[in-house]
Amino acid sequence: MTLNRRRLFVSFAACALLPMAPGARAQDFPARPLQGTIQWGAGGSTDAVTRAVAPIVEEKLGQKLVLTNRPGGTGVIGLQYVHSQRADGYNILFGAENPMLYGVLGLSELSYDDFYPLVLLARGTPVLVARKDAPWADAKDLIAHVTSHPDSVKMGATGVGGLPFVVHAMLAAEVPGFKVTQVPFDGDGPALTALEGGHVDFMAAVWGAARERIRAGRIKALAAIATEKIEGLDAAPITETLPGFTKYLPWGPFFGAFVKKETPQPIIAKLEKAFVEAANDPRFKEFCANFGVVPMGISGKAAIDFMNRWRSVTAWLLADAGAAKVDPAKLGIPRI
Amino acid sequence: METALGYFLISWTDPRLLVLIAVGTFAGIYVGAIPGLSVTMAVSILISFTYAWDTNEALALMVGIYMGGVYGGARTAILLNIPGAPAAIATALDGYPLAKLGEAGKAIGITTVASFFGGFVGILALAIGAPLVAEIALLFAPRDYMLLGIMGLLLVASLSGESLLKGIIAGALGILISMVGLDTMSAQPRLTFGSSALLGGVSYVAVMIGMFGIAEALVQLHGLSAPVIRQKVDRVLPSLATVLRYLPLSLRASALGVWIGALPGAGGDIAALMAYDHAKRSVKNPSRPFGKGAYEGLVAPEAANNAAVGGAFIPMLTLGIPGDAVTAVIIAALFIHGLRPGPNLMVDTPHLFWFTVGNLTLANIFLLIFGLTGIRLFAKIVEVPKAVLLPIVIVLSVVGAYAINNNITDVYWAVGFGIFGYFLRVYGYQLGPVVLGVILGPIVESNFRRTMIAVRESWIGFALELVSHPITLILLLGIIISLLRGTPLWPQLRARFGLRS
Repeated sequence: MTLNRRRLFVSFAACALLPMAPGARAQDFPARPLQGTIQWGAGGSTDAVTRAVAPIVEEKLGQKLVLTNRPGGTGVIGLQYVHSQRADGYNILFGAENPMLYGVLGLSELSYDDFYPLVLLARGTPVLVARKDAPWADAKDLIAHVTSHPDSVKMGATGVGGLPFVVHAMLAAEVPGFKVTQVPFDGDGPALTALEGGHVDFMAAVWGAARERIRAGRIKALAAIATEKIEGLDAAPITETLPGFTKYLPWGPFFGAFVKKETPQPIIAKLEKAFVEAANDPRFKEFCANFGVVPMGISGKAAIDFMNRWRSVTAWLLADAGAAKVDPAKLGIPRI
Repeated sequence: METALGYFLISWTDPRLLVLIAVGTFAGIYVGAIPGLSVTMAVSILISFTYAWDTNEALALMVGIYMGGVYGGARTAILLNIPGAPAAIATALDGYPLAKLGEAGKAIGITTVASFFGGFVGILALAIGAPLVAEIALLFAPRDYMLLGIMGLLLVASLSGESLLKGIIAGALGILISMVGLDTMSAQPRLTFGSSALLGGVSYVAVMIGMFGIAEALVQLHGLSAPVIRQKVDRVLPSLATVLRYLPLSLRASALGVWIGALPGAGGDIAALMAYDHAKRSVKNPSRPFGKGAYEGLVAPEAANNAAVGGAFIPMLTLGIPGDAVTAVIIAALFIHGLRPGPNLMVDTPHLFWFTVGNLTLANIFLLIFGLTGIRLFAKIVEVPKAVLLPIVIVLSVVGAYAINNNITDVYWAVGFGIFGYFLRVYGYQLGPVVLGVILGPIVESNFRRTMIAVRESWIGFALELVSHPITLILLLGIIISLLRGTPLWPQLRARFGLRS
């Protein structure tokens, strides 16, 4: 109820300011509360990361940041909503990596190319995990088993383009004959629960989501999909078994805050400063450690380079796995 | 044991926490009562709001909102025929007819006591059986969720009204609506006709608000001159005899609610619907026919959905696995407060389990207190002249539809389904099966596909899956028996196997 009253107030305030909005000067920015749109629903990783950083951003900007979840269509709905708003810096998009694949999956013409990255907040590292009674101790065992029993091993997944799907595409590209049966669930939470219940045999999941289950011995870790060991995880990095993975890494989901590209430069500068400061705040870093994600805190050119590299790796993996609806070459995505 | 009691009593002895739980429960009842404003969303907003608070205080407030919210949905379901939340759909089926009979006050009184009772059973199950129940809940495979969904769909038979065929058509329509949108398994848009507004699918809450709220308001335009129903408010608290009479049913419905609540893939909405179905099948002589104001039709779903709250905390507190959407948000909140929800939560933060049990117990007591006060005032809402009430219902429906995802498309859906639902009603189709199809369709479909994919698309493999585990067998037998009971074969089978009623 407070939410609605607040939102009502904000919309009234917005109406009152409308006539002067285009000419509003950057030094007054932000003159009213900001609207944050979260691409994913309540209770998900994007939601948690956003809600952890938002109070710090409010502090840095000296303004309220009103958060709203607009989930649906792997984030297309929320992205389109922010894109349909005025480029005045008052509408912030909080999203995950998915928009960088909208092109190849044919979901939307829009992507983060139409936005400016105020900050990339954090990224997750995938871990290869198996049910606790699986007969494998590491990635080598898994690969040996899968290649000798094609299609018989069940892998938990989250649908085409999801994290397990992409990690599987990497494995399939590096290991000839790596064929498994992918069983898709509604997200990594439900898939991990199915793994714990023994309904699938292995999967790739983000470290933060798998960590506590590994620590309690309810599932076991086979490898970290990284070039180095993850702090707190005994399993070896995948590059020790498959050096070919180096060209894909670091790879994993990432979370960031964006505004429309057409936003006036001085306003972007102000927002960018506040968001980068918030992302580098010790409180947010502490949250990242606890949540099991790697804090990033990069923006602008560095962020764009990171995302473009991410898209090149992922889009071509999807294309090679036959899952891309639109040829990445046609979209001008270079192969790495 | 002594330490457990100490943790249990933390909130009972701390005035600040006590007040927070009371405030949370009170606010939850009203958040829950307003369609579209969900408890999930309210708890999610509280994450930012309570960022700088002490973890115990944030949790106390969240638990209060959760408990109150699950109950609050019944209010609008009874008074206006708009379920405040999907968990209250089944409550509207007999609650609203009761309001039309002038018994809105009594209906609210009964739902309050049933919710309190269900909530208590849920807490008890959490306190006593949590680790065991959680382990069994994990054994539910996709095939079992599929069977559970099919079992729920059989409820169409109970909701069809005069014509089973029309009920089946309505249910199938609901399943069709549920298929619209991006299929997350294959990343293929389905039935979107190239429109990106349809990628997100049709929210079942929008369908529910349209079909119950707006359609009902339109239907009532037919009887504008009908006299206002006087509400009997002299006796709103159910007598002890009434409570005792429904005790066995409440207990069965609560047990069902705990189980379904504890399953990570099903929550209070499904629990309530299945409990309604159970009541309809098991109660031989209801106070009135079901759908026309049977008290049993209120007791069962309301006991079940509040029992599902305790149930949802079972996998959350023992394994870090959310039992429903709200517990998923609470898990996120724990992370932000520096805790590590997971199987070790009870080892790392030993106070958390009994602290939560204590908070739930308090919230349940507050629910009874707040629920039973002000009933007379609420019942009077039904007496408001239609010229005033119907526009309010429409406005509330539109606002509620917008609040689901803050998306104007949902408002169009609600209005569209409202008008469509009106015509369905005029032609004798019941709207319950449509909403049932929208809710259960995806559960059956996705889990059927999961099962099929896992057996590599082999029908023989699929058939073997269905007899591969005791849980699966029990569910399968349940479905077969329900189906057989509707056929002429049943009496013969009963005679042969010597079953007598």
